[in-house]
Amino acid sequence: MFPKSTLVVFATLLTVFAPVDALWPQPRSLQTGTTPLRLSSGFDISASSIHNAPTDLQQAVQDAKTLIQTDKLQRLVVGRGSGDAAVVQKAHTLSKLTLSLGKGAIANSITSESQKAPEARDEAYTLTVPSDGTGATITANSTLGLFRGLTTFTQLFYETGGTTYLLNAPIHIEDSPAYPWRGLLLDTSRNFFPVDAVKHTLDAMSWNKMNQFHWHIVDSQSFPLQVPGYTDLAAKGAYDSQSVYSPQDVADVVSYAGARGIDVMVEIDTPGHTAVISQAHPEHIACAEATPWASFANEPPAGQLRLASNATIAYTAGLLTAVSKMFPSTLFSTGGDEINANCYAQDVETQQALNATGKTFEQALDTFTQATHKALIAEGKTPVVWEEMVLAHNVTLSNNTLVLVWISSDDVKAVAEKGFKLIHAASDYFYLDCGGGGWVGENPDGNSWCDPFKTWQHSYSFDPTANLTADEAKLVMGGQHLLWTEQSGPQNLDPIVWPRASSSAELWWSAPSGNASADLDTALPRLHEMSYRMRQRGVDTISLQPEWCAIRPGACDLTA
Amino acid sequence: MLSSRPPHSFLALLYVVTCMQSVLCLWPIPRSLQTGSTPLTLSGSFSIDIQVPNAPGDLQEAAARTHSYLKTDQLGRLAVGRGASDAAVLHGAKQLNSLHLTLAGSVSKVQSISSEAILPLGSRSEEYMLSIPSTGGTATLSANSTLGLFRGLTTFEQLWYTTGETIYTLEAPIHIVDSPAFPYRGLMLDTARNFFPVSDIKRTLDAMSWTKINQFHWHITDSQSFPLEIPGFTEIAEKGAYSSSSVFSPSDVSDIVSYAGARGIDVVVEIDTPGHTAIIYESHPEHVACFDASPWATYANEPMAGQLRFASPATTNFTTSFLEATAKMFPSSLFSTGGDEVNVPCYDQDEETQQILNSTGQSLLEALQTFVDTAHGGLKKLGKTPVVWEDGSTELVSIGADLILDHNVTVANDTVVMVWSSSEAAVGVAALNLHMVHGPSDYFYLDCGAGEWIGADPDGNSWCDPFKTWQRSYTFDPFLDLTASQQHLVLGGEQLLWTEQSGPQNLDSIVWPRAASSAEVFWTGATLPDGSPRNVSSALPRLHDLRFRMVQRGINAIPLQPLWCALRPGACDLTA
Repeated sequence: MFPKSTLVVFATLLTVFAPVDALWPQPRSLQTGTTPLRLSSGFDISASSIHNAPTDLQQAVQDAKTLIQTDKLQRLVVGRGSGDAAVVQKAHTLSKLTLSLGKGAIANSITSESQKAPEARDEAYTLTVPSDGTGATITANSTLGLFRGLTTFTQLFYETGGTTYLLNAPIHIEDSPAYPWRGLLLDTSRNFFPVDAVKHTLDAMSWNKMNQFHWHIVDSQSFPLQVPGYTDLAAKGAYDSQSVYSPQDVADVVSYAGARGIDVMVEIDTPGHTAVISQAHPEHIACAEATPWASFANEPPAGQLRLASNATIAYTAGLLTAVSKMFPSTLFSTGGDEINANCYAQDVETQQALNATGKTFEQALDTFTQATHKALIAEGKTPVVWEEMVLAHNVTLSNNTLVLVWISSDDVKAVAEKGFKLIHAASDYFYLDCGGGGWVGENPDGNSWCDPFKTWQHSYSFDPTANLTADEAKLVMGGQHLLWTEQSGPQNLDPIVWPRASSSAELWWSAPSGNASADLDTALPRLHEMSYRMRQRGVDTISLQPEWCAIRPGACDLTA
Repeated sequence: MLSSRPPHSFLALLYVVTCMQSVLCLWPIPRSLQTGSTPLTLSGSFSIDIQVPNAPGDLQEAAARTHSYLKTDQLGRLAVGRGASDAAVLHGAKQLNSLHLTLAGSVSKVQSISSEAILPLGSRSEEYMLSIPSTGGTATLSANSTLGLFRGLTTFEQLWYTTGETIYTLEAPIHIVDSPAFPYRGLMLDTARNFFPVSDIKRTLDAMSWTKINQFHWHITDSQSFPLEIPGFTEIAEKGAYSSSSVFSPSDVSDIVSYAGARGIDVVVEIDTPGHTAIIYESHPEHVACFDASPWATYANEPMAGQLRFASPATTNFTTSFLEATAKMFPSSLFSTGGDEVNVPCYDQDEETQQILNSTGQSLLEALQTFVDTAHGGLKKLGKTPVVWEDGSTELVSIGADLILDHNVTVANDTVVMVWSSSEAAVGVAALNLHMVHGPSDYFYLDCGAGEWIGADPDGNSWCDPFKTWQRSYTFDPFLDLTASQQHLVLGGEQLLWTEQSGPQNLDSIVWPRAASSAEVFWTGATLPDGSPRNVSSALPRLHDLRFRMVQRGINAIPLQPLWCALRPGACDLTA
């Protein structure tokens, strides 16, 4: 039998070596101790030092207090932290967290700070939790920074036997994102997602400090966006009258996102991916629902805006202008991917227009793009495009245009060489839909075009500046995971997105060392905790491993 | 002036197209199906009259559930407009007032669905006849058993759509004569890698019953956790479950068994032995070799290592006893003892095993034979038919079947072998003249394609990539390369969910509607009611329909395609 003192030492050592912080994304600078603290039953968060604290900050404070009480996350160790009870009972209590803004900082709303241009957002914060139970503090130079700090603060705590506690005081965190763009794309056209599902996703994004919701809101299959002045598009192009985002819904989503530190960039993909516009405006669409679809589009149904037609250009510019007024973001994506040349080659109207003006197809595309972008720039928007607009076509774009790299991570270098700011969205790392099998009918042996499934580990091992020069690396704005929804709906939204999308959230915020194997070793236990915490908050995250592995860090590694 | 309205005959033509689409929407499609083109609406006072003497409670409850689904499904037809244009033809349509349920012939004693569902394979009566006259009034459902009536009720529920307040079908008269092509139509769920609460299992049983799946293969324990509380052996779960709330108590088990039975489903439990048992070490270290040995990859196919020390007579007795105790918890005539992935190096390094083998002079294979014989002998005394995994992955394991066959041919004849490693392994099982259930990873593993879950392996993929689409599963041929004289050995098949990367969070979405694929493969067989071969293009619109109906009933089944495609049968086919 062991003498009692040996047992105590043994237990303490175990506690120290087991994971005691579940922060995700990992702060850029983090110092922790080994002193336990328990949360006082009267714990409060004060923002009283902030003059005229905006209502969204006040709400964020309330939300943080609620999460700390309701998370009830048990530590992911054998015994789920029940062994912590003894040490926690004797610990100091933490009764207060005080928020304050730096000298001279203006207390704008979180929403307005979030909607600034990406480089202009100030998300930095400092968080301290003393070991003696005196008050914790978060300081920042913006309410957005305070919000990020609150998000971190809620992740510090575990629960056992009714006590909320942490084990690693004192804590000192200096944090700020490595990249200004940390996004998630959701396609609400292939299948529709109600506002509640979108909001639920925004919540989960905010817990991961993601700040950019890329809303691929319409496509060839359906047009759920009700655009003032263009309501016929949704009236005839939405799947049904319930599968529509009204202007009020959009405002609701935008403000819900803003209050959570998230900017909403809408995408109206043009000139391709627009077949459904033919329901209301057949005059603007070439090769609408032409068959065989595979000759006219990458997926059914075929149909693209008649970009050589002046009337269509004017219509599109008007539509984009109207949409841009619905979204306060400085960013607006006009898409530009997968333009099908055969569709236009076979379209009599397009050929007539080209003949009449003497333009080539590429020249017509340039005219179309310049006209639509000019309209957006007039609204104060920065255009965002998919990579083909830079790599596959000869289109004049304004210098500040942002380019989304999607086809392959191999294309990043070429976009950077052209001097454009870029966003990583490569299918070979970040497509959440890959690996779900072929969805096209009558194709029993068809697999996902972008097989295999992108594991969190694969995404996490992405190097954002691979093969780039130092100057080119400065063009990298960050990146995003993406969910195309041919095989997704509200039914599998959570499990197909989470916790995998957390993987890139940390990539862009924390900029791991680049030593993939070392990074993955430390990431997995934290990602498990993040995933379990998200579950506690009602998100149906998938299991990354059997629970046996989740509570034994490293035990299920390849060579363990 | 020209009328802006299309002539009446044109409308009628459209209506024919409509009918042809919706007639296809039964899943699994009945073996014999005749339909007409007369619309019928369901009367507001529609009733199901059970004209069965002493109707058992589970039949009455089944009828009540059907009645409820008719009202709550609220499924709009999957066509552009979601059936709104049907209102015109429904106006003034005849009404169906009731469905009469009768048992055919002279049934001396009416049995409950539950007791019919757990009869041995081959002796269950699932056939039924359903007739709905075009004149409305009364529909009739008859069968030779309450289980058959239940299958017919399931079909009846799928005939109806809703537009506005009207519940209707467009294809009366309907005459269906139906029975399954194969007696075993299953779904396997692993509740050991990650735990699933009883409510998730019940929801899955509901969805299974809607597709006429009749076997729940419950892979209840494994190396990672032991959630089953076995009377007399409660210490195994006490120390081996993930937590005290991640446990199936005896009352949970009987709750699940009776819930399943009332839905025409037999529960075959699997206690995988001698491998996949590491966690038993927590309560009985004396019975487990190479527990948590490192590197795990040397001693097991996945972490953690640990296998029953089967060469030890004490371990053999212990195992036989707790298998018998488990068998008493499950009324099924089937019991799986697993037998897959037995790791030889684990025993080579185990001192106790080597000492025993030295002292008895037995080889490892001979010791395994003794172990299997003893365990199966115990189960057979309790009236159970043993089920084992085929195993092509190690030399040792294909022996599981060999052993039984060599040792006692008469015993071997009724052992059921589950084919899992590859569809090609079925031929080997047939060569042993053993009955088989198809569960090949290359067609039916629902977990494939979700990437590597082992840590520190960023470029690892799913071992059984790619993802098995519904289309892939649907094209499975149950008779493969078997000779005509071997085909009788095929009992059916099942799709399987191993849960290293699954939990309650994605249970619905990873299983449904894909698992419905094999449900039709093994119910309907090779041909459609019109005699043509079963095929993915006519199946897809029906499977969409089933999926949307499941969503209406609260199952988070994934979309198979964009809704645009689901509303336009064929439009998203490869060459459309």
